[in-house]
Amino acid sequence: MRWARIGMQAPSLVILMLVLAFPLVYSLLLSFQSYSPVDPAADGRWIGLDNYARMFTDTQFGQAILVTLGYVVLAVALETLLGLVLGIWLSRLVRTRRLMTSLLLLPMIATPLVVGLMFSFGLNPQFGYMTSALQSLGLIGEAGVLDSPVGAFAALVVMDVWEWTPFIALMVLAGLSAAPEAQIQAAQLDGCSTFQIYWHVMLPMIRPVIGVAILFRATEAIRMFDQVYILTGGGPGSATTVNDIFQYRVSFTAFDMSYGATLGIATFAVVMTLTWVLFRYLNRRGAA
Amino acid sequence: MTTTDARVETRPQRTEQPRRTPRRAFVTVLSVLVPAALMLAYLSPIVWLVLTSFKNRVDIFSSAPTVFFTPTLANYVEAFVDKGFTENLVNSAVVGLASTLIALLVGLPAAYSLSRASKGEGFMMALLAARLLPAMVLAVPLFVLASNLGLRDTYAGLIAAHLTFALPFTVWMMRGFFLAVPVALDEAAQLDGCGEWGTFLRVIMPIVKPGLAATAIFCLINSWNEFLFALVLTGRETQTLPVAIPSLITPIGTSWGQVAAVGTVTVMPVMIVAFIVQKHIVAGMTGGAISAE
Repeated sequence: MRWARIGMQAPSLVILMLVLAFPLVYSLLLSFQSYSPVDPAADGRWIGLDNYARMFTDTQFGQAILVTLGYVVLAVALETLLGLVLGIWLSRLVRTRRLMTSLLLLPMIATPLVVGLMFSFGLNPQFGYMTSALQSLGLIGEAGVLDSPVGAFAALVVMDVWEWTPFIALMVLAGLSAAPEAQIQAAQLDGCSTFQIYWHVMLPMIRPVIGVAILFRATEAIRMFDQVYILTGGGPGSATTVNDIFQYRVSFTAFDMSYGATLGIATFAVVMTLTWVLFRYLNRRGAA
Repeated sequence: MTTTDARVETRPQRTEQPRRTPRRAFVTVLSVLVPAALMLAYLSPIVWLVLTSFKNRVDIFSSAPTVFFTPTLANYVEAFVDKGFTENLVNSAVVGLASTLIALLVGLPAAYSLSRASKGEGFMMALLAARLLPAMVLAVPLFVLASNLGLRDTYAGLIAAHLTFALPFTVWMMRGFFLAVPVALDEAAQLDGCGEWGTFLRVIMPIVKPGLAATAIFCLINSWNEFLFALVLTGRETQTLPVAIPSLITPIGTSWGQVAAVGTVTVMPVMIVAFIVQKHIVAGMTGGAISAE
């Protein structure tokens, strides 16, 4: 019995050790070194906590963190609000719900890089249909949206909202269809209006689902890279340089591998904390 | 007071009923048209990309956005016949199939075993962390290690990198499907003389086949969509489709039609397949951590 269990789990453990645990430990070691494949002076000598000291005084990194925070908070808040409305709307559909759901899930399953490409096409200053729509409304000038820091940041948030609102909506829909009928009927008998039922009865019921959805979205949004890479590349200036774009530049444009590893370890710590919160949340739900 | 008011209100309604029918029809039409128009607007970025891929250069750059134009396949021919994007397509398929196959072979027994174990929470937590881990955190060490081991620009290097998310995903997702199978079945099989492997292979696996199909499809989609690992670990020989797209966009003279064609070919298989696994989409998007049905 015991041997069978080991035989079933061991191959996975071995592979995860090789491709996950070992690289992570290697990255941790790298963060205490000075290493760059393009700089002969940075040959992998040990420099203690210098990289971490540099991280805390790096104003560009601070800027990237601010951009990431602003983007994550804004995008996830908008997605939650719109997702809630959309989810309730979906739950009230009868005949067309399946079709609507099928169409709504297209953006979030689409290749993230191509999602960035779609908005790049739409917002292209020369031939983008979004550009011409916004221009005819008098909202932007000739240069297009992506030329200004505010415009580019807004485009990023709108793109994320476009891609991920259906995710929250589907979670809300799942929560609503699992909600017990009895309480809703009781509220109806007591003369509650539809709005009151949603606000006072349904919303508290689906709050745990929304909590999990928000946590998932937050951990995903923190690592946003593909869409930004192709849409703005982090510009103009540092307006859309989110954490992962900044790390990419450090590691793969400047090839400062050891500093890049340091930034990665810091991100890892943040994501681990969020995962721990999420795991406790999921377990509590499983126990209930 | 209130009762008379109500009566006053209901009476005209009743007399007006025949006259209201066209208005009601109008409302019905609106309730179909408005959501349809909103949905079209919502999906317009996808539609625009696909439309652009069938336009020639003049139609793309026409001053007003054009919806009606003479479609051309020139962009597809140029990208996939004249230029080497078919190779990228093959690379994407090879890496996707290989990483999915390995993840399933190795991950299925582990998922089954974990679903039947009372302990193993630490393992599951580690797997969830692996699923949510930013790819950038792993990209740096994987790049340095692959460079040192000579695995850059090889299938093996990229497949190994894709296993970092494919394997944790498979275990989480399949564990959910295994948990749904009553343990009584295992016990019955064991009474009949099946060992743990026999129970798993001959009794439990046939039951979870639909779940297995969904998991495999999501593994393929995730690998197909992956960009960062492919960007830093591949070179000329092994570039996947998503990596090939940015290389087409240059400050001087981008052939937008070709970009759109390659983008469309990248995204279409995923969107078509998504309809098959629609039921499991929430579980798929959350790495199997949440199964909403």
